[in-house]
Amino acid sequence: MKKTLRNSCLSLCILALILALSLTVRAQTPAPAAPATPAAAAPTPVVTPADAELKDAAGKAPATADLAKGDPGGTITGTINDVPAADSKAGVTLPDVANQVGQNKIAVNFVWTLVTGFLVMFMQAGFAMVESGLCRVKNANHTYMMNFFVYTCGLFAYWILGFAIQMGGAAGNSNLGGLNTLTGEKSMTLFGKTWGLFGQTGYFLSGHTYDVGVMVIFLFEMVFMDTALTIVTGACAERWKFLTFAVSSVIMGAITYPLYGNWAWGAGWLSQLGTNVGLGKGYCDFAGSGVVHAVGGMTALAVSMIVGPRIGKFNRDGSSNPIIGHDISAVLIGCFILAFGWFGFNPGSTLGASANGNLRIGTIAVATMLAGCTGTLGAIIYMWALKGKPDASMSGNGLLAGLVAITAPSGFVSATNACIIGLVAGVLVCVSCAFVENFMKVDDPVGAISVHGTNGLWGVLSVGLFADGTSNYGGSWNGVTGSVTGLFYGDASQFAAQLIGISTLMGFVFTLSFVINLALEFFVGQRVSVETELAGLDIPEMGQLGYPEFVFRPEPAYSGD
Amino acid sequence: MAANKQQGSYFGLFLAGATVLCAGFAYFGGGTGKALLALGAIALIGSLLGFLGIKPLEGKTAMNPGPEGMKLVGAAVCALGWILTLSGIHITASTGGRIVFALLGIGVTAVGMIFILPAAFNKNAIWKGDSGATERARTAAAAKTTMEHSR
Repeated sequence: MKKTLRNSCLSLCILALILALSLTVRAQTPAPAAPATPAAAAPTPVVTPADAELKDAAGKAPATADLAKGDPGGTITGTINDVPAADSKAGVTLPDVANQVGQNKIAVNFVWTLVTGFLVMFMQAGFAMVESGLCRVKNANHTYMMNFFVYTCGLFAYWILGFAIQMGGAAGNSNLGGLNTLTGEKSMTLFGKTWGLFGQTGYFLSGHTYDVGVMVIFLFEMVFMDTALTIVTGACAERWKFLTFAVSSVIMGAITYPLYGNWAWGAGWLSQLGTNVGLGKGYCDFAGSGVVHAVGGMTALAVSMIVGPRIGKFNRDGSSNPIIGHDISAVLIGCFILAFGWFGFNPGSTLGASANGNLRIGTIAVATMLAGCTGTLGAIIYMWALKGKPDASMSGNGLLAGLVAITAPSGFVSATNACIIGLVAGVLVCVSCAFVENFMKVDDPVGAISVHGTNGLWGVLSVGLFADGTSNYGGSWNGVTGSVTGLFYGDASQFAAQLIGISTLMGFVFTLSFVINLALEFFVGQRVSVETELAGLDIPEMGQLGYPEFVFRPEPAYSGD
Repeated sequence: MAANKQQGSYFGLFLAGATVLCAGFAYFGGGTGKALLALGAIALIGSLLGFLGIKPLEGKTAMNPGPEGMKLVGAAVCALGWILTLSGIHITASTGGRIVFALLGIGVTAVGMIFILPAAFNKNAIWKGDSGATERARTAAAAKTTMEHSR
């Protein structure tokens, strides 16, 4: 009876789901097609000297017969004949050329943003390898599956709700053609100023948001969101119930992450601190040390507190036992994959390679590379000098810490400052890991809280310290004219804006995540049973071992003779 | 309780409810939108009740009940720090004053996050008792062996 009732409920809901989706499909019915080119609607052009020159150039361009012979040197491919003319009888005119130039700029930026987004998506593989490698073999399948399924949960949640909350009011990005349909920011007026709270357009990418530019920004922002979600799976590995993980990830992808993302990047109140109260250029987080990593890190801390430490992690006197991961090679290869993906994360955050100061992408890429390098150095030297061994897992965490820390300032700092930021991050991650484990008694199998949380906050702060005022992305940032400049270069107000961002991450994001997951603890339960945990989560939770043919063979005793 | 069919069904219901609810938000202006919103909310509540119903099947976890009030106090102190920072934006117009308020806010939040909440969760922590002693011993032995091999 119960089963029939449950099945009926499910069938009803699936029907409702189909109805809801069909509504969105109806809303996506394209508007009447626009003219092929804007110039087509223009009045008949007057023939100017420039038009005559264009006609002359068209006459001199290589003919089809020349092109048929091949172009090994690449000197005759791509000429005026490749510019589409609005009126074929009149030939190519100046407006045609201008339109083509505009479209080329947007095309370059679309391709740049999409390709860098693809790189960020590939980081999921790196996260999966790092997290699973640092866990015991009995939990390998479960940890890999969390990293796999978080992509699906996050993407779905972001499509139905998250994107609308985060970017629903983010119109005005000229790199991607204006994004002019994203105009639904809900705001409130406080002390005579208007503050953005959350976006309201873009549910299901339907209606007017069925737009080429919106699709590009959706893909790029979605993979960033997914990076934040996957941070939590590492901190709670080896004891988190798969069901609770899935529900928690959906909620984080739909609400927690998009809310802070809106405040920082989607015309929300943090980005308005400059225009409203004169604090620098508003809260600045170029690629997401705060929005992505600290949000993930703060949530990881909240959830891992609730889930509790693994059995055997702490002794009765409070001292901790190291629980060694099963595959250090996966960890280090995963770190390299992440470092590779970071070239999408940071340089891609210009959202374009053409115009508006976007040629700074080279500087951003080098800053990213150097911070990763000094982060690794910091961690290795710290561990080697203080603990006696250049610990492999902490070396990987040092690399990631440097990359996390440079993510926010990468668009605003010099190569030297990037090195300093990375070096501090490399040491900070070691200190923070010890603090979280030994002082707070929070069990974080992969060091995610320290890598992403602590160093995410450090990255946000470092913008307020090290931004050197040389970047120029279209002459303004967050609507305030000028370049982002930190405390060491003369602007204390930028430092204040960054501190407000940090306080919001710690005070709001952490608390919200904590309350949501405490509610999930009540309704679903966060942790697997003792039997499941001791046996390993692979069989009870996933139904199969990660390595079914793995045979444990004890090492022979070393006699010393 | 390991993963099972009931969990899968209720998770499906949760996702379907969330989707229908969001469709309701998207078309809230019309009658259909409001109906979808209500239907989605019902499905979501149904899934939560379903989760609650099967929760006891999980069996004993390696956690003891802690002081719930202290956990909520910790969360409230964290939020209070943020509110203090926000207040500073409007209380003073000077950059220095706002920096001081922000630092105070971060400090208050840190007290909640680093001192109150861990104390609440660790008060009755299972590792303080005898439970899990076998696994603890096994983990310690495995770690010792690994360290010895690496020397």
